[in-house]
Amino acid sequence: MSIVTKFTVRRAEITVAVILALCSVALMWKSAQNRITWSAEENMGAGFIPFYLSLGMFICTVITIIKFFLKRSLQSTNNEPFIDPEAFKFVSVTIISLVVLVFAIGYLGIYFSLIFFLAFYLKYFSEKSNSFILIFSLTTPILTFLFFEWLLKIPLPQGISEPLFYPVYDVMYGSSSLFMIWIYIIATVLSPSVLVLLANRFIK
Amino acid sequence: METFTLLLQGMATSFEFLNLGLLIFGCLIGLFVGAMPGLGSVNGVAILIPITFIVPPTAAIIFLAAVYYGAMYGGAISSVMLGIPGASTAVATVFDGRPLAVKGEAMTALTAAAVGSFVGGTVSVILFTLFAPPLAEVALRFNAPETFALMVMAFATFVGLGGDDIPKTIFSILIGLVLSTIGLDLITGKPRLIFFGIPGFLHGINFLVLAIGIYGIGEMLWTLEETKGKVQMSKLSVNMKEIGKAFSALKKTFMAMNIGSFLGFFVGILPAAGATPASLMSYGITKQLSRNSKEFGSGVPAGVVAPECANNSASTGSMLPMLTLGIPGSPTTAILLGGMILWGLTPGPLLFTQQPEFVWGLIGSLYIANFFTLVLNIALIPAFLMVLRIPFAILAPVIFVLCVTGGYAPTQSLHDVWLMLLFGFGGYMLRKLDYPVAPAVLSIVLGPLAEKAMRQSLILSDGSMGIFFDFSSKPIAATIMYIAIVLLIMPAIGPLYRKFFKKA
Repeated sequence: MSIVTKFTVRRAEITVAVILALCSVALMWKSAQNRITWSAEENMGAGFIPFYLSLGMFICTVITIIKFFLKRSLQSTNNEPFIDPEAFKFVSVTIISLVVLVFAIGYLGIYFSLIFFLAFYLKYFSEKSNSFILIFSLTTPILTFLFFEWLLKIPLPQGISEPLFYPVYDVMYGSSSLFMIWIYIIATVLSPSVLVLLANRFIK
Repeated sequence: METFTLLLQGMATSFEFLNLGLLIFGCLIGLFVGAMPGLGSVNGVAILIPITFIVPPTAAIIFLAAVYYGAMYGGAISSVMLGIPGASTAVATVFDGRPLAVKGEAMTALTAAAVGSFVGGTVSVILFTLFAPPLAEVALRFNAPETFALMVMAFATFVGLGGDDIPKTIFSILIGLVLSTIGLDLITGKPRLIFFGIPGFLHGINFLVLAIGIYGIGEMLWTLEETKGKVQMSKLSVNMKEIGKAFSALKKTFMAMNIGSFLGFFVGILPAAGATPASLMSYGITKQLSRNSKEFGSGVPAGVVAPECANNSASTGSMLPMLTLGIPGSPTTAILLGGMILWGLTPGPLLFTQQPEFVWGLIGSLYIANFFTLVLNIALIPAFLMVLRIPFAILAPVIFVLCVTGGYAPTQSLHDVWLMLLFGFGGYMLRKLDYPVAPAVLSIVLGPLAEKAMRQSLILSDGSMGIFFDFSSKPIAATIMYIAIVLLIMPAIGPLYRKFFKKA
């Protein structure tokens, strides 16, 4: 019996309730670093509202725990696995790849990280050909770049890859005519497909 | 008459080139997100809000409202063709829509859904136009105590009418409120709940981070888990004969249309309810009142029309309290309300006097979006069926890319992207254990507004909580507050009442 099947809904219910109770206590403790008192004479302390809200959270989790031991909640008597083992593969790989993606964004920048993320994800979960995966993984970051940096003027993190984008910015904000910019855009969006299809044709 | 003139002006606003373009684009995206299992109006609106910063608020709200509207139509497509609701709002559509498709009458089901949605949408938008101005006029007299009381009532509605586990519902409301207090205290200016001294917490937690986390990442994890198996798409023949046959089947659905449209609108107004319970209730009531109730569940057009009328009607209904009172009627309108704050608007009745173009542009656009979505829905059924064949393994990473970029764009901070991942994973876990997540999103949006209203009220009353309960000085606030208390204690009293009568 694997760990996944041993971790039942019942166990998950109590584990999560205890974790939430501990988080509530931590929030109360953190709120208490500000003044948590309030009276008609003096203004409400900055910690007053978060402290009592966290206390309310704590009480709710304690009730959930009591209901668990009294077997009054649906989850407290459910001994089925919390997550189906087959589905666990999908969910866990997705979570890990997302965590790695966000780590990589801070270092490599978003566009290059997205290429690796998409290539990995599609290779792992889909049954598509390598050519499709390559075209998809290269085109999506290009479209993301054009949408955010060119259309919305919102710079996304570029990490160590930032110098590579300077020539692109020169074209975007330089003296090129609008017509030429559109030519560059169309060429850039289509280039992964053309390159991959050519490579497929000539490299055997 | 004045309302009619304003409505015409609003319609003219939505016919402006940019607004009309975004309206049609929004309807298309809405139909798409509604049709895809795992994506619904709330996910679509949450993920798309960051890209609306480029256009003026009126165009942005028209676009997002069209997405909301389109998603209500689109949900039926996968309910009928795959037997999986495209969104929770289309759950009840599966009951009769799927059996119709299995019998080979998929076109009847899809036409019934589209026409039902159109009727529900039209009735609700007319009701909206009639109710909104007088309600906003009343709400203009509201001060801080009344506003706070209304917000308490919105939270209490989740407890009293939400139907979920009560401690878990209250926990969800409270965690949303605690998250909304992170950052600088608005009165004393002191930093609150700055964990590990991370400066990212100083600017607070943007509601979008929680909304995209829960409805983007969390929902995708949930759907990846649910749809790992293969789905079977029904066969569909689209021709004029089939469409004509489908329309003639609608003659017997008049009662379902009425129930769905009116019930949906009024259920939609309630903060805890929204389109999902509205559609389920309409289905249930239509079935009970129908002469051939035994046939429901085996493929009756009325069983498709009732929930589809209701979910469209409820989506419009949920915008009524959002626009007039500043209180959202559904998770999607909670996100729209947060969007208004991001665009620099103050949600509430003042919008009617200060931003008439925005308000009436939105109301006018609902009429037009309703028409366009009906046409696009029926015309593009073959295209949507192609879209439904896209494997989830390809769609999911695209949604993740939109989530990550959407989480980063508003504040341009990776800290928010990390938080979004955390909320996504946390939301997925909590949802699996039946913690409702919608109250948390509503509370993080309303939290800062509620805190401000409460503290202003307490300054007015020299610190006395009596200001919220005093019938002589604040009759409206007190009435709302007592209703809220009744809603809060209702789940506790209900079982006791039943126990007492059982013994008696």
